[in-house]
This record gives sequence, structure tokens and C-alpha cells, in this order.
Amino acid sequence: MIDINPQRILVRYNVKVEKEMTPEEVAEKLFPVEENIREVAKAIFEGDEDEVVESIQNAINNGLDPLNLINNALMVGMEIVSTLYDDGVLYLPDVIISAQAMMEGIEYCKEHFGQDHEYKGKIVSYVVEGDIHDIGKKIVTVLLRAKGYEVVDLGKDVCVEEVIAAVKKEKPIMLTGTSLMTTTMIGFKDVNSRLLESDINVPVVCGGGAVTQDFVSQYELGLYCEEAADVPKIADAIINGLNISQLRKEFHKH
Amino acid sequence: MSLKRYNKMAYDDLEDMVFGHSIYPVKTGFDLEIGAGYTSAEVNYAPRPAAGESKEKLIAEYQKITTDVLQRMVQVGFPSVVLETEHVQQMTVNPSWGAEIAHEQKTIMEEFYDEYGIKCALRHTPADIRGGKESLDLRGDSYGMLLESFEEVASNGADMLSIESLGGKSVFDSSILRNDISGVLFSIGILGTLDVEFIWEDISKIAKKHDVVAAGDTDCSQANTAMFIAGGLLDRKLAHTLAVVTRAVSAPRSLAAYEAGAVGPGKDCGYENTIIKAIAGVPISQEGKGSTCAHSDLMGNLAMQCCDLWSNESVEYRGEFGGTSVQCWGETLSYDCSMMNTAIEAGYAKVFRDVFMVSDRYRDSQAFILAFDNAYRIGESIVKDGNDIYLRAKNAAIEACNIVDEGSRGQLELSRFEKASLAKAIKSLHSLTDEKDVFIEENMDKFSTMENFIPKNYGY
Repeated sequence: MIDINPQRILVRYNVKVEKEMTPEEVAEKLFPVEENIREVAKAIFEGDEDEVVESIQNAINNGLDPLNLINNALMVGMEIVSTLYDDGVLYLPDVIISAQAMMEGIEYCKEHFGQDHEYKGKIVSYVVEGDIHDIGKKIVTVLLRAKGYEVVDLGKDVCVEEVIAAVKKEKPIMLTGTSLMTTTMIGFKDVNSRLLESDINVPVVCGGGAVTQDFVSQYELGLYCEEAADVPKIADAIINGLNISQLRKEFHKH
Repeated sequence: MSLKRYNKMAYDDLEDMVFGHSIYPVKTGFDLEIGAGYTSAEVNYAPRPAAGESKEKLIAEYQKITTDVLQRMVQVGFPSVVLETEHVQQMTVNPSWGAEIAHEQKTIMEEFYDEYGIKCALRHTPADIRGGKESLDLRGDSYGMLLESFEEVASNGADMLSIESLGGKSVFDSSILRNDISGVLFSIGILGTLDVEFIWEDISKIAKKHDVVAAGDTDCSQANTAMFIAGGLLDRKLAHTLAVVTRAVSAPRSLAAYEAGAVGPGKDCGYENTIIKAIAGVPISQEGKGSTCAHSDLMGNLAMQCCDLWSNESVEYRGEFGGTSVQCWGETLSYDCSMMNTAIEAGYAKVFRDVFMVSDRYRDSQAFILAFDNAYRIGESIVKDGNDIYLRAKNAAIEACNIVDEGSRGQLELSRFEKASLAKAIKSLHSLTDEKDVFIEENMDKFSTMENFIPKNYGY
């Protein structure tokens, strides 16, 4: 068998540009200073659900307000995880595991203390009719929740009627739809038409295997999204007042 | 039918593994023999979105696609081609649609064969429609419809039958996003294998009944999901090491189709096929640089090393500067095949194989474990415990990790993150029991609270 020096034919850029500091070292610099809050935030970073609940209880025993803990410990811990993911320090499963721990913490606060927090906005997510491939939607849903959005997840193989009814009921700031196949992604066209008929101008963020920017751009409310990590940024941009034309300018990369 | 477990390697010497040759070639279609000393392009396509609006539009779309591909093949002088029709959902849930399309495609292929003598065959891959809105329903009513679809295409023109089956998918999706190695092993090695065995016993019977080929499965829904999430070198979505483990475990899972009666060629997107070829000696279809129309690839050349069919995975039917998309990609694939076939004729096949393989061997750990020598090692670890679907999957995962670990002390560069992730995976795998029943019981219990996990899908 022949062998060669691979460095003359390929470059492992991931090795070349890897950051010097470990995720733990970077996070350590970002954790809040106050001890009780710091412990909750660290438990979120580590994605340890039991530790999250325990540290919340400890903090409350020490006199901290549960709502304060949601906003300034749970959400802050999650923000650190999201920032490190955006900066290429953490990987997606780290975000998923931490988000699960954060939601566990929020649920604990709600159940035990009757307190909830305000979400940044509400978003409806779904997989188009005829399509059962939903791992992309699951990723998008977790990333949105991790960024403080309330997500109404309609699931997979969702018919147009159900999507429109959910939008009318929930009044979301945006809709996210995913599709793997060419023949199912036509469902975006029907959602677009039905929303316009009802004078609803909510952005429809579309992504998934066969979906392309050219296809989505045909529809007035359509916004193409190539990377799941961009979806929370799109939501933030909508909160900041960008319309569909401005969103396309910002997020259509091709 | 009893399952034929593999307890030894089909190839005694890994050096004998090369593109265009398999131990058990498959005759099919019009004069085609796959794995019998030459390679052929396998062109794959998806209809335009609007074609799904009615049966008539869909049939017309596939007629155009088939004609376009064959016209280009004869225009440029290629001796053989395979067409693969992966069903869109409408074609499987309406079995007569799939049947009509298979018939129309085969009629066109026959006309070209009669006029030009071009060797050709048609693979149909019904969609795995056993996924409900809430959860998988692998053995319920939709299974009957799926088998009806196989019957219909087999009796109306399809030469080869395949599927990308979904067994284990819900557990896998949950596990892969949580770095849960044990869950990945359970979902693919146990649940996936059980489902592949179940479905392929029936598909093989249908193939036999209609004198067509039970070709093979692919772990697209799991191993390729991991590969796609892992992405390129700079993506931070999933440790490539976890994708390595997933791929290794997918080999004994897809092997189960051959244990239940399939004979190849394995389906294009089964990157695990080189391991399977080493074990079972069946011909395989592969995709790599010719499938960049569908997804990026970290082993675009390496995937050619032992292929018998060379595929483009899928491309939407549309116009390009050089013709329609199926013509362009079909031509590109066929030129690759022409190069491989020239190498075979000239006696340079092994040299070419090695160049293909080495050019990507160190590009990524996922490519490294599939280099044919390493794929062979994984195959040996599988047949060592070939009768135990748990141990063989665990062996494959551990062997793949060992291969990467050894490689990282040589030319295979790993980032610190990948090294740490590999160490975690090895630790996690070595902490697992050696007892299949204990492992299954532990995981049944662990996933019992998962709302869309239904044990009866797997006979429990």
C-alpha cells in the first residue's frame, strides 16, 4: 500500500485554528461573581440537571428570589453556553444538554415557587406535511429555547391547516419550517399563500435538506436559513424590528 | 427464513478488495453484471417540487429524467448505467404510482437497450413510510402498504429493490444530540439491526417471487445523519469521533440485510458498505465526490476505492448550462467509471484504488476508519462475534476508536477536542456490559419514558 505525507495534499484547518483555551477555562472567566448565582450558572454550563435543581434550592434557601435566579442565573448560564457555541468553543450536544438542564431549572422554579419569567418572544416550529425527518427542527427548537424564546413545537408531518391555525392562535413573531425532500417543501408555498390571504405577515424561516435560497425567495414571507445556529439570530433581528426584506439582506448568504 | 450470520470474512486478503470486482457479482437488468470486472454509474435524482402535484406530472417527470440520462450515456459512449429511483412519499403510499413509474422507466430503458445495446438496470427504493406523525409504527398498517409498494415495483420493471429503513431512528436522534454512546449503540446496533432483519426477510421473499434483486439497505437515517451534523472540519455541531462510532456500528446493522437474503449491490449512501463488502463479498454502490450536488464530503475520492457502482446520491432535476442536472452528473460519474475501468483493463486497479484511498485517508477520522485496510479490521471485529448482534456492534465501535487512536499517533492529525472526545468514547464503550440481554434491558428501561419509543416496533 502506498503512503504519503498528507501535509502536502490537505490541511486540517480545525487543528490549525483550534483555540488555546479549553471551554472550561473560557467559561470560568464568564461566570457571574455572586456565589449562589455562579453555582447555578456553572451547573447549566456542565449540563447537570440534578446540580441545577440543587443549586437553585440552595440559592433560595440563602434568600434569593426564584425569578431572579431564572433571569440572572439560569438564563445567564445558558447565555454563556450559547456564546461559547457561537464562538466555536463548544459543540451542539453541549448546548442541547445545557438547554435541557436550563428548562429543568425553569420548570423547578415554576412548580415549586409559582414563578415564571418573560420570554423574548413566541415562535411556532414544524416539519412540513409528508415529511417525518425532524432532527433539524429539534435542533432549531432547542437553540431557540436556549436563547430565551418560547417555542410552540407542532411536530412533524404537519398539515397546512394546522400550521395556519397555530399561527392565528399563538401570534408568533416568526414561523420555522423544515423539509428534507423536494416534493414536500412545496408545502411552504401553501403556508405562504394562506398566511397572506389572512393578512398575516409573519416571517416563515425555511431550511432542511432539499431547500434552497432560490426556492424560498419565491415566496413573499419566506426567509432561507442554512444553519440552525442562525435561527435565534433571525429571531433577535425580528425583535429588533427588521422586516423580511432586511432579514433577507442580512441572512441570505448566496 | 433463517438468518445467515457472517462468522468469517469473504475476502481472505484485504488486498484483493478493489473497485469493479466483488466475490459475488450480481446479474440484473439488461445484460448488466455488477461487481464482475467493471464499474458503472448509478444516477440518482429527485423530481422538481411542482412534479409532486399529480400522478401524471410525476410520471412525466421520471420519463424525462430516464430519457435524458440514457440519451447522454449513448451520446458520450458509456457502455453501462444504473438508474436509481428513490421514491417520493406519494409513490410509496400509492403503490400503483410507483408501479407505473417503474414501468415507464423500464420501457424507455428497454428501447435504448434494444437500439444501442447499452447495459442498464433500474433500482427502485420505496420510501420508508412507517413513520407516523407521533412515532414510528414499524410493523403496523403502513408496513403492509410498504410491502405492497415493493410488490408493485418488482412486478412492473424494477430490477433491484432497496430501502433506507428507519428502525431505531427516534432513539438515535435523541442519543446523538446528547453524546450518548450507549444510546447510539442501542439504536443502531440493536433496534436498527432487528428492524433490518425483519424487513429484509420480507423484501427478499418479494424479490425472489418476481425474480428481481434484493439489493440492500443503508443506515442513512442514522449514520449519515451523524455525518451531516458533524459537517466539515470547522463545524462544531458534533464531534467527528462520535460520527466515527456511529458509522462503525452501522456496518453490522446494514449487514443484517444480507443475512436476511439481500445480495447487493448495497445502496450508494451506505458509507459502511466497504466494511460490508469485506465481510459478505457483495458488490456495493458508493458515493463521494460525485455526490457533492447533494452534500459535502470528507472522503470524495476514498469512497471510490472498492465501489462497483458509483453514484451521485441525488440531484434535483433541472436545467444546467451543460444539459439537465441528471445528464451532467451522469456524465461526470461515468467519466469516473471510465477511468476506473481503464485502470482495471490496464492492470493498474490497485494503484488507482490506493491513490483514491490515500488522498483522503488523513482528511478526517471518518475517512480514516473507512480506508479499506481499516474497514477490513472493523469487519474482522464484527465477524468475531457474528452471532451476537450486540457484541459485534460494540466490537465495531471499539475497533473504530482503536483505529483512530492508533492513527492519531501517526499521520492522522486530531484536534485536542477530538482527542478528548475519542477518550470519552473509548471510556464509555469499555464501561458497557458484555451481555446482550443486560444491555437491552438497561436501555429498554432507560428509554421507556421517551414518548415516541415503542418497543413492540422491534418485537418486544
